[in-house]
Parts: sequence; C-alpha cells; structure tokens
Amino acid sequence: MTTIVEGRHLTREFPMPAGPVVALRDVSIEINPGAYVAVTGPSGCGKSTLLHLLGCVDAPTDGSLLFEGRDVARLTDSERSRIRLTRIGFVFQRFFLMPMLSAWENVELPQAEIGIRPADRRARTRELLEYVDLIDRGHHRPSQLSGGEMQRVAIARALANRPALLLADEPTGELDEDTGEQVADLFDRVHADGTAIVVVTHNPVLATRAERRLMMKRGTVVHS
Amino acid sequence: MPEILLSRQLMEQANVHVGDLVTLAAEPDGTRAGQFRVVGTYEPTPDPMKFSAKRLEARLHLPDLIALSADLTDPLSTESVNVLNVALVNPQEAGAIISTLAARARGLMVRSTARQDNSGGPFAVLDRFHWAIAIVTVIGSTAFLLALMMMRAEERRDIIGILRLMGIPARSILVEVLLEGLLIAIVGAVFGILVARAGQGVVNRFFQWRYDTTLVFVRVTFPIAWQSVAFAVPLGVIAGLAASWTLLRREVVSLVRR
Repeated sequence: MTTIVEGRHLTREFPMPAGPVVALRDVSIEINPGAYVAVTGPSGCGKSTLLHLLGCVDAPTDGSLLFEGRDVARLTDSERSRIRLTRIGFVFQRFFLMPMLSAWENVELPQAEIGIRPADRRARTRELLEYVDLIDRGHHRPSQLSGGEMQRVAIARALANRPALLLADEPTGELDEDTGEQVADLFDRVHADGTAIVVVTHNPVLATRAERRLMMKRGTVVHS
Repeated sequence: MPEILLSRQLMEQANVHVGDLVTLAAEPDGTRAGQFRVVGTYEPTPDPMKFSAKRLEARLHLPDLIALSADLTDPLSTESVNVLNVALVNPQEAGAIISTLAARARGLMVRSTARQDNSGGPFAVLDRFHWAIAIVTVIGSTAFLLALMMMRAEERRDIIGILRLMGIPARSILVEVLLEGLLIAIVGAVFGILVARAGQGVVNRFFQWRYDTTLVFVRVTFPIAWQSVAFAVPLGVIAGLAASWTLLRREVVSLVRR
C-alpha cells in the first residue's frame, strides 16, 4: 500500500513585516489510502497551513513532503496543479463553488479540465449528484441552494475526478448542527467507499467520526 | 437680360428667388451697376479655410463679369485676369504642366492646388495637434483601462483562487481570460466605432447648422476605424492578461484567504 502523502519535519514560516511567523513547526504526518484523519485545535494553531501543505497548495519552508512518492518541493507549479486536479479533492468552509455555474456545471468543471469525454462526464456528474442526493437541484446555481446543499455540491465536485485524498477545511463551519451532521454522514460514506479524508474542524461531532485525531497547538501536533 | 447664379446663402439672406431681377454694382456706392436675372442657385464648394465666413457669392458669365467690373479708364482691365484656375483631365500631369507653363511664360506663377509639402500650414499644425491629442488619449485610456482591469481581476480573485485550488493550471485560466478579453475588446471596438459614427453625424450636423455650410467636419473612415480596432483589441487583451497575471502570480492560498 503506497502512502498517499507523507510529510517529514514540516515547517512553514510566513515572512511578515514584524518578523517571520512560524505557522507550522516540525510536523510529521503520513496519510495512507483509506485513512480518516481529523485535525483539531484552536484558531491559528496551523491546522489550515498543514492542510494546504498536504494538498500541494503551499510548499514547506523546511522539511520534506512526498505525494505518492514524489517530492512536492521538486514539482513545478503545473505538476502540483495536476496533482490537485486529479488526485486531491478540496472542500472548504465557504464552499467555493463557481457562482455563475449551476451545481451540475460545477461538478463537471474539473472533469472537463482533464479531458473526460462529455458522455462520461455527464454520467459521472449524474452519479455524483445522486450520491449527494441533489440530482433534482443540478440546474440550480449556488445562490439558489442552501448552505448544506452547496456543501454537498462542493463534496461532489471534490470527488469528480476520483481523488485518492479528500481534504476538508472546516466543512461544517457555516452549517447548523443538523446540516453539519448530514455532511459528516456524507464524509462517512466517502470514507467507506475508500477515499482517504483529512478534515480540519472545530466540530467535535465531525472529529469523533474520524479514525484518527490530531490535536495541534502553536504549530505543532501535541496529541495524536 | 444677362443671367446670374446666386449662392444659396445669398438667396436666403437677400430673400431672392429664381426668376427675380437683381442689380449688381461693382462699387459699394452703387455705381457701375447692371441688372441680371437670377436663373439658379448653387451650393458653394465648402472651404475649410473659410468655413466661418458667410458665403454670399454670385456666378456670372465671364463677359458679363468683365463688363461689370472693367475700369473704363484702363483699357487693359478688360483683357487681364489675376488668377486662372485650370482643372486637369489627368492631375498626375500637374508637375509637367507647371514646368512647361513656367518655362513659356516668364513672370507667370503656376502652382498646383494638390497638397504640397506644407509642414507649417494651419492644417499640418492641426494634424500634428490631433496626433498629440490621440497619443495622450491612448496613453491616458490605457492607464485607465489597466486600472479598471486590475479592479475587475481583483473582484474575481475568489474565482481565480478556486480554480487554482482545484488544480486548473494557470495557463488554462490565462487562455480563458485571453478569449474573454478578445471578445470584450472586439465588442468594445465595434461599439466604439458605432458611437463614433453616431457622434460624427451629430458633430457634422451641429457645425453645418452653426456655420451654414456643407463642409464635413468629422469623418470616420475605414482606415481610421481599422486603426482604432488595431489599437484597441490588442490593448484590451494585454490589459486583461496583465491584470490576471498579477493574480495568477500570487500564491493560491492568498487568493482565497480573507
């Protein structure tokens, strides 16, 4: 079993006018296929920074990061984009759906980008919207959907290219308790279907669903 | 009864009609006068050098003009002219004709009315002034356009950030922006030309009314329209690309962070 992503002694510093801020300090982490990891901790403890590193969105200032055996630091921007497009799905607190596209088009977009044929795209989009129980809302724009529906569309979009890893940053942060629980149920299903998940959350209900929990404080993992 | 043509402006001002009899005098006090029948009217050829002058003119047959204006005390006055305008069948031959006439008739000044090297003339100066205005306008509007596109790109920061997060390559986004910019620039250029055409009609009508002339003050020709499009389209596309490139160069995380 190949590790999906492996970070060793990851450090991320952000240069600031008043001096560098260390957001992540010497963190080592390994995500294997089928894993379900929750990262918790107070605001500003480095959870999102860790998620961005795992998602090849950002690069560590120090330490090494391997994605499916490839050293992320040595990859070009377009190679990292390709990994994000094909191997990773992102779900965010603010959904980040394309406002001018319908739910259907939002789910089709990443598939179109990697050149999937229209007929296959349509089939996959239908399958995913059925999966998140939104097939009837496919032609609605994000502004016509509720928060929970938008997040389910975002999850469908994240799964569009059958990623190995789903990264979620506070996915229930903007949802009420019941809707948050529906999203947590959906994550359980995604996990059960074999996709590895790393979720950054303040939501204890969501965190307890994970198989493994990492607690962070001041840029380091204090408890696993 | 000798016949005469009067300019439209003179007919209107003097309230004269075709068929009326008019008296024309060579002197301001009314002496050396003659009677003529108005047989028609004409629109004076517009002259940009005289556009503000009221064209109160008349056209007479040459013998009538000579009879009216000749100085009886000077026998030569019926046999001399100051200026002759000659229309050539082939204007290309103007140079050769000028040389021939100048060689045959010493003291005769012969020149072509075709545009010569007239770099100090009023229209040459006006032309340079127009170019200066055009250059300043293009530079100013480029800066404005760039600022506008920067603001527009900044408004789309989230969208570009989402696309980049999802892994859409910067190149794909730039191609999209390029196509969008191209479309907007073409539509904008066509719209600009239509506005210019409409503006041309309004400006011409106003000044033709104001100066009572048929002179055309503004003309948006095909070369002018083509030049404008050739400037505007690449400029619009470059401004769009430059604005988007400033966003695409930024780290992906910074695009979606608030």
